[in-house]
Amino acid sequence: MTLTFTPVIGIEVHIQLKTKSKVFCTCSADYANDPPNSHICPVCTGLPGSMPVLNKAVVHQGMLAGMALNCTVQPTTLFFRKSYYYPDLPKGFQTTQSDLPIAANGWLTIKDDVGSPKKIRINRLHLEEDVGKLHHSAPDGRLEGADASYVDYNRSGLPLAEIVSEPDVSSSREAVEYVTALRRRVRYSRASDVDLEKGMMRFDANVSMKCSDGRWGRKVEVKNMNSFRALERAIEYEIARQRKLMEDGGEVLQETRHWNDAKGVTTASRVKEFYRKFIVEPDLPPLVVTPEWIKEVRASLPEMPGEKAQRYVKDMGLSEVDAAVLTDSLDVAQYFEACVAAGANPQRAGNWVRTEVLRAMNERRTDADSLDARPDTLAELLRRVDGGKLSTTVAKSVFEAMMEGLSLEEAVKKSGAVEGGVGADAVGNLVQGILKANPDVVADIRSGKDTAKKVKFLQGLVMREIKGQARPDEVAAAIDAALALK
Amino acid sequence: MSICEMNVRQVAAGVREKKFSAEEVFDKCLERALLHENKVTALITMTADTGREQAARVDERVAKGEDPGPLAGVPVILKDNMCTHGIRTTAGSRILGRWIPPYSATVWKLLSSAGAVLFGKANMDEFAMGNTTGSSAFGPTSNPWDLSRVPGGSSGGSAAGVAAGYTPCALGSDTGGSIRQPASYCGVYGLKPTYGLVSRYGLIAYGSSLDQIGPFTRSIEDMALIMQIIARHDPKDSTSVAENVDFSLPLGDKDGSIGLKGKRIALVKEFQGFTLDPPIADAMKRMVLLMEEAGAEITEIGLPVVSRYAVACYYAIAASEAHTNLARFDGVRCGLEAASASGLKEMFEEVRSKGFGPEVKSRIIAGTCLTEPVRSEEYYVAATRVRTLIAAEFQKAFEGVDAILQPVTPSLPGKIGEVDEDVMKGYESDLYTLPVNMAGLPGLSFRVGYTSARLPVGLQLVGPRWSDKNLLDIGFELEKVLGVPQSAFDTAACNTTSFKGGN
Amino acid sequence: MRLGSEDVRAIAAEARLSLTDTELAGAVRYINNFLEMVDRFKELDLTGVEPFCFAESNVCPLREDAPEVFPRAREILADRADYLTSLFKVPRIMEE
Repeated sequence: MTLTFTPVIGIEVHIQLKTKSKVFCTCSADYANDPPNSHICPVCTGLPGSMPVLNKAVVHQGMLAGMALNCTVQPTTLFFRKSYYYPDLPKGFQTTQSDLPIAANGWLTIKDDVGSPKKIRINRLHLEEDVGKLHHSAPDGRLEGADASYVDYNRSGLPLAEIVSEPDVSSSREAVEYVTALRRRVRYSRASDVDLEKGMMRFDANVSMKCSDGRWGRKVEVKNMNSFRALERAIEYEIARQRKLMEDGGEVLQETRHWNDAKGVTTASRVKEFYRKFIVEPDLPPLVVTPEWIKEVRASLPEMPGEKAQRYVKDMGLSEVDAAVLTDSLDVAQYFEACVAAGANPQRAGNWVRTEVLRAMNERRTDADSLDARPDTLAELLRRVDGGKLSTTVAKSVFEAMMEGLSLEEAVKKSGAVEGGVGADAVGNLVQGILKANPDVVADIRSGKDTAKKVKFLQGLVMREIKGQARPDEVAAAIDAALALK
Repeated sequence: MSICEMNVRQVAAGVREKKFSAEEVFDKCLERALLHENKVTALITMTADTGREQAARVDERVAKGEDPGPLAGVPVILKDNMCTHGIRTTAGSRILGRWIPPYSATVWKLLSSAGAVLFGKANMDEFAMGNTTGSSAFGPTSNPWDLSRVPGGSSGGSAAGVAAGYTPCALGSDTGGSIRQPASYCGVYGLKPTYGLVSRYGLIAYGSSLDQIGPFTRSIEDMALIMQIIARHDPKDSTSVAENVDFSLPLGDKDGSIGLKGKRIALVKEFQGFTLDPPIADAMKRMVLLMEEAGAEITEIGLPVVSRYAVACYYAIAASEAHTNLARFDGVRCGLEAASASGLKEMFEEVRSKGFGPEVKSRIIAGTCLTEPVRSEEYYVAATRVRTLIAAEFQKAFEGVDAILQPVTPSLPGKIGEVDEDVMKGYESDLYTLPVNMAGLPGLSFRVGYTSARLPVGLQLVGPRWSDKNLLDIGFELEKVLGVPQSAFDTAACNTTSFKGGN
Repeated sequence: MRLGSEDVRAIAAEARLSLTDTELAGAVRYINNFLEMVDRFKELDLTGVEPFCFAESNVCPLREDAPEVFPRAREILADRADYLTSLFKVPRIMEE
């Protein structure tokens, strides 16, 4: 009988909460591109005598993120000192809520490997501080041969939320689904920008294996994954490694392993890490959030993407695929909803937002909120299309012009489109002109050579000339009529 | 009266009224310190230049007719665990090297903006761990009253500086008695305020939930004046209380007689079974009589949990907090460095093993041990639960009582260099001081008199939380009988009372 | 003796202290006496007793999210940081 193995995976996600200042001091949280150690003070460098003062916004954002993940906010929580020695940890302990978190008992729904909905439980979301950054290259940028490492404390003290899942994840694919859903919801809540490239979201995974013969492997903590891809690969690697060990009758050791992205392997950590030692942080009294405050935060939490998408499908008749695209980020969903609220047909608006609007956002590398063409104007534009006043082709160029900052009317004018379309006389005149300019084509038609094809060619010329502002069948009729007259 | 014998208010008044200049005050104090400092060694750093500059600025303000503040030109000694911007701060340890803080402790900001002038940074037991000032990396301090004896600790330098008349006041910090015990040994007033009353921002922490900064003075009114300035809410210290306690003068009974009418003073039943050095036992008896005569009602309370468990509880919590507070000394950002270390662990170990003294190492190891995941529940967490019982016991005891009268120490100051073989027995001698920190209470150490051998004898008043002002009121009444403490090197001293059986 | 030399050496190493043999002997004595002292807690029934964290039921104050620059960041670097790069140098950390 062949053995089967079931991976049991828990995911820890660190996200950087969006605030203006650090968690325990007033240093700016925005240090990107600034020189090393330029955003530091006695508190975030752990100088003797310094003391922490908690940033209100961190508590707010922590609650918000927790609510986005269906967690319950805990009214009274506490901070602890988690001790270990590392140069990027200036106090020799990390100030963290750990086991007494601001939010707990949440969940997310993902699709499991056969496509059925699956609930991933979230144990908790707790607040803590980030550590400094280590540079392992020489000051001149050399990596090889550097005899030292260097510490920059600009990041030290940035507010983090650590989100710990229950071991409900069973594959690398599910892990990616989970963190994708988590990221989307947190981004919706605006508690964090969760920008992976800026290191605002980092992953650790606890991986163990259950064997069909009843054996359980020990839990291995895999650290240091900074992208979805790294998370996926690290879990796959670890599953394969542990499986092989167990198949060969070996034993999986309980240990911390580091993911090496370049080499694509996990390696046992040399330092005995996360020797978890806690005492109560005596410098911070218990954190108490009032029911009023919780209520206020809850009221500011937008409808979450899953719920939104369901509503789009149910109430607006959108396809599930379209609904998913439209709800992927809050700004786009809100743009779409504003467009519908301003009177646009939901399906047409959906089509436009997921094509034209997203394209415009990509080209301009901006979010929907900062687009020049506002949703109400887009709604007006789409109404004109629906009313037959503008063709889709023209509307697209009008929209393009609106993106350059023009008003709807200016954009229409610039595109050369005539409000209400081109009249029948004008079409007739245009057709006459085109026929005059292409006597050889007309001659071919008359001689019966490829008649249908040549007529189509002329029709295309006319359509181009009138910028699509006439219905094709109208134009065809006008050409037929003109040819018959001759 | 020489300037050095003056108290805080006399100096400030003199400067404000231009009877003498702040610079003159500073120079007189400096002169006195230079005369005695080679014997006493109260200071790690004497801030002669910066101090005189500050004094000159006070004089400028006076000359311009501006308000120089209530502490105009008053020279102050700070224990060297309070950060002073631009001035080396050592916490009595080698590990800080020549570190110069880029910021000042809140208490120093408050004092200096009230016109005070920095005289020096006082010697102390390394990281405030000790009760002799003998564990300082800078050598011991001597008791000004008997140079062969310890001044107590850990704020021994601050107490000795005031007792020797260098300055009329100093600040110390008290984690388990570190203000009250040296105040008692050196015959000056020392107040450990209610936890949360004085900002700890900029105080190099030992046991953060126990540490509290407080003043040493030679008069009760001075004590109130200093408290009026430093007992301020500080947004930089999250444990600092939002309300301010009013310490404004006058203190005590308005009619001028010794009035303790209606004050309920308690003695601790369990403490009476413990042995005291005869002069201290005598002082207790005398004080009970005196207070009764002054109209106080003397009662008795029981503190059984405190008596049996406070010492163990204190050391468990202090060590647990201390080992985290001292984890930041890793050789990376400031202080001692290990430039040639081959690896991280080697660097940490080299810096910490060279930088910390034996007592500090012992307590770090104890704190590490008690908070290990396998022992944490049994010891660290248990200690925090015992602490709840201790605080509750005090709270109950204070229901019918204004203050507890008790010794500060069971014995008079010992000889310098005398090492107690049994360290734990040394810890036991802190029984009278450290429960006060466990419960966050205020405690006033005051001088009662002197032994025949000219050693000061002090006692302690302990009150419920926020009763600091009340303790000063009682102290003020007692001062009317006991007189103000003298400076050790002034001839007029010691004529008040002497106790039999002294050393 | 509850803890032997090797136990204490390991605890010291955890606290990044390396002890000489004399220091170690002293530390072993100290820590065993210390444990004996705190073993007293076992006489008490502590079930249901809350851990004491703060002197009274005060609440963590919260600060507004307003950035404020610490004006003397350079002084923090003065003691140890590399002058040119403003970075703190530590022994080379091998890739983990």
